[in-house]
Amino acid sequence: MNVSVFITPVLIILLLLYCAKKKVNCYGTFAEGAKGAIKLCLDVLPFLVAIFVAIQLFKVSGLTTLTANLFSPVMEFIGIPKELTELMIIRPFSGSGSLAILEQIYSTYGPDTYIARCASVIMGSSETIFYVATIYLSQTKAKRLLYAIPVALVACLASSIVACLVCRIM
Amino acid sequence: MRKIWFFMVLASLVTLLFVDPEQSINAMMNAGSDAITLVIKLLGIYAVWLGIIALVDASGLSEKLANLLEPLIDWLFGKTDKDTKKYIALNMSANILGMGNACTPTGMKAMEGLDKQNNSITASTAMIMLIIINATSIQLIPTTILGLRAQYGSASSSDIILPTLIATTVSTVLGILLVKLCAKIRKRWKDK
Repeated sequence: MNVSVFITPVLIILLLLYCAKKKVNCYGTFAEGAKGAIKLCLDVLPFLVAIFVAIQLFKVSGLTTLTANLFSPVMEFIGIPKELTELMIIRPFSGSGSLAILEQIYSTYGPDTYIARCASVIMGSSETIFYVATIYLSQTKAKRLLYAIPVALVACLASSIVACLVCRIM
Repeated sequence: MRKIWFFMVLASLVTLLFVDPEQSINAMMNAGSDAITLVIKLLGIYAVWLGIIALVDASGLSEKLANLLEPLIDWLFGKTDKDTKKYIALNMSANILGMGNACTPTGMKAMEGLDKQNNSITASTAMIMLIIINATSIQLIPTTILGLRAQYGSASSSDIILPTLIATTVSTVLGILLVKLCAKIRKRWKDK
């Protein structure tokens, strides 16, 4: 059993009790809030389709593997096993895609090997950068992102290097 | 983002012309329906989270949270209005608690507020900061991965918690510092 499974339900229970104390109409407020999801999803959908098309094409055309092969010597030089390059390239684009690669690594190498542990830490410490940027900016007037994507990628790469380093020691 | 998208689609389609032209339209259609499937799933998830967030808001808790995190928010995002601060506070809490799906609705509301203040086609430093914090999310416990490792028969699935925490802290702190640095460089450039 993991402690983490308790966090969310306990917080929601506390929230409900607090709302009751403050005499908030819980049922009505919850429903009113949930209504906002419809507009949110409609707003996000076109951008999601666009980014999915790009990712799918990139994968089907074999460019992912090509880029992975291209980068793996560099990755190895900075201490990241080459088996993880594909994971690191897919990770900023697609959560489900990278999860599939992670499962592949688990079944090929076993979940307790150095490679698999590195992969777990990389997966756990990073996010789908392009997805976040696309969705968050879908409703804004501002479209020019300046240095946001490079900074996110550099931070992500740094955490991957640290991940492999820490896994080697611990 | 525009450039990356254009390049990815163009390069992939050109490659597919030589490799497997039939696949190109198939892949695009599949991607479209995948996106719809995801949105329908997200609709349910967001509805629940937005409902819960509405409760947090109505009970006055979000204001308390915003007041608590105010020094941090002021340092990271500069001057913002009260409402935006509230959503930033909620977004950061959701990030830290690992409620990934609660991050998006709160983050988007915060982003709308920041965008209104910015009112330009170029993103403000505060908006970039919000993206970076969400893109390098600090997560206390990576629940999905723990579950997956256990499923594959790991002897001690939780031994990655500490390394993950170290790596994610490094990425978030580095991200924040880089944004601060880039903003300063840009300002100096503009002043010249």
